Amino acid sequence: MSSIDEAPPSRRMRTPNDSPLKVWFLAPLGLWLILLFLLPLLFLLWIGFWRVENFQAIPDFSLSNYTDIFASFFSKSRYGLAMIQSLWVAITTAFFATILSYMVALSIAFAVPARWQRLALLLAIAPFWSSYVLRLYAWQTILSRNGVINSIMRLVGLSDYRIDIIYTQIATRIGLIHYLAPILIVILYVSILAIDRVLIEAARELGCTRWQAFTRVVLPLSRFGLMTAGSFAVIVSLGDALSGNLLGGGAGTSIIGKLPTYASMIMSDYSSSTNLPRTSALATILIAVMVLALAVGFVLADRARRRIG
Amino acid sequence: MRGNPWIFAGRLWLGLAYAFMFLPLVVLVLFSFQKNRFPGFPLQGWTLQWYDKLFSDGTLLNALGNTMIVSPAAATIATAIAFFAAYAFNRFAFRGKTAFLALVTLPILIPPLILGVGFLGLLARIHLSGTLFAVFLTHVVLITAPALAIIQLRLSQMPVSLEEAAWDLGATEWQTVKKVVLPFALPGIFGAWLLAFTFSFDEFIIAWFVSGFQPTLPVAIYSVLVAAIDPSLNAIGTIVFGISCLVLIGLELVLLPLLLGKSENQS
Repeated sequence: MSSIDEAPPSRRMRTPNDSPLKVWFLAPLGLWLILLFLLPLLFLLWIGFWRVENFQAIPDFSLSNYTDIFASFFSKSRYGLAMIQSLWVAITTAFFATILSYMVALSIAFAVPARWQRLALLLAIAPFWSSYVLRLYAWQTILSRNGVINSIMRLVGLSDYRIDIIYTQIATRIGLIHYLAPILIVILYVSILAIDRVLIEAARELGCTRWQAFTRVVLPLSRFGLMTAGSFAVIVSLGDALSGNLLGGGAGTSIIGKLPTYASMIMSDYSSSTNLPRTSALATILIAVMVLALAVGFVLADRARRRIG
Repeated sequence: MRGNPWIFAGRLWLGLAYAFMFLPLVVLVLFSFQKNRFPGFPLQGWTLQWYDKLFSDGTLLNALGNTMIVSPAAATIATAIAFFAAYAFNRFAFRGKTAFLALVTLPILIPPLILGVGFLGLLARIHLSGTLFAVFLTHVVLITAPALAIIQLRLSQMPVSLEEAAWDLGATEWQTVKKVVLPFALPGIFGAWLLAFTFSFDEFIIAWFVSGFQPTLPVAIYSVLVAAIDPSLNAIGTIVFGISCLVLIGLELVLLPLLLGKSENQS
């Protein structure tokens, strides 16, 4: 040891924290993020104020896009109604997706022998690795009027009980839940795994029933995982246009009415007009609503935590 | 434990969940080999005609080719950037580290729809939109964060003494990274690459905005899909599913042990 310490190093670092690598190793990531993430985002906010003349976007600082959008927010263009539809679909989807996935994660953690759990988890998340668009297409053929389910019902003589949910927001939710479930199952399973089993055993030994051990030990301790999963599901559902377009048929019916989701609307608005400034303004409004929704969710969660704690 | 109704209910639920998760895949594969023009029962006999149509038509295969150029390239660059950054995050303390990490995570929290509009605005301005290169540039942004998370997970399992020993034995810092850290991180790097590849392979909305006349596979599938029902989609779906199975096997061997913290050096 001592001989190495005495060997004169050519250029010794004084502490492990002092090294040129610090800058060199972080620079590629930093540059890429600034040039190709922050810059486009700022650009998006800025383009929202441009105007269009002769199908050409012209740099400007005009509020015309926003006044146009808000002038007919709830009437002709119905952007506002689409936003309400989006929030309704996203929140209900997130609710069901989180609860159903939580039940799957619980089943894997408690009803499957330890040595099979990894395989069980792998099976549950496997569909995530097939293409999302193709899965939606498959759901389309399953749910459509003469599709797989209805043709089976006809074969077994139940033709009176046709399911008719394709091109409604129920179908949109099915597609979204199918997409979200693998991710949520992993998040929730990891958070259940982190719970100390000793606590559950102690509760059982002190006379708790299985149900009480669940509601008083497991559920409170997986609250953080549930909140993470739920907010993730809301964000993804709010921003997703594919399921709404392919399964919801663009303007799917829900209890709110026959309306597209806001994300679908941005997509169709752009492909029909290629008016990038207005699309950017619409996207900016979506950012604002999402930040607001997350802030409300955060405040509510914080209040709930204080009431319990 | 036997005959406990909760355990039974849990397994029943798990069975239902698997049925729900795999139903679309089963339908996709089954009807890629069936003569039915519109998927449904009764089945009308086995055929390979949709694969024929797929290979003779070429649009979707062309798009698959585009994707197989963009996604591996984006995954490789993203993994390289992520490895260096993960090493720096793991080893160094510096001001603004938390803020930097938050900035890295932001691209996966912002809906890709919004990012797509932003990318299009910027890239159209510098005349890069409508190319595969644009898809590559933007996908790297999107997939670096998950890659970084995986590699960081792996590096956090590395004992600090390993690096110190290398320095004491006279290795330069760069040599240490190359000959000690890199081999140790290799499973993490491999898992990160696979995850990054998957995200890029499946990404639709950003590619829809910026790819123009060089569509990636999801974009091409979407445009076929909104035009008409075409059973060749089942065929390409089955092929894609085959590719995913390969990725999944790689993942099972590398990523899950990492995530669930049962790495080989603990046993």
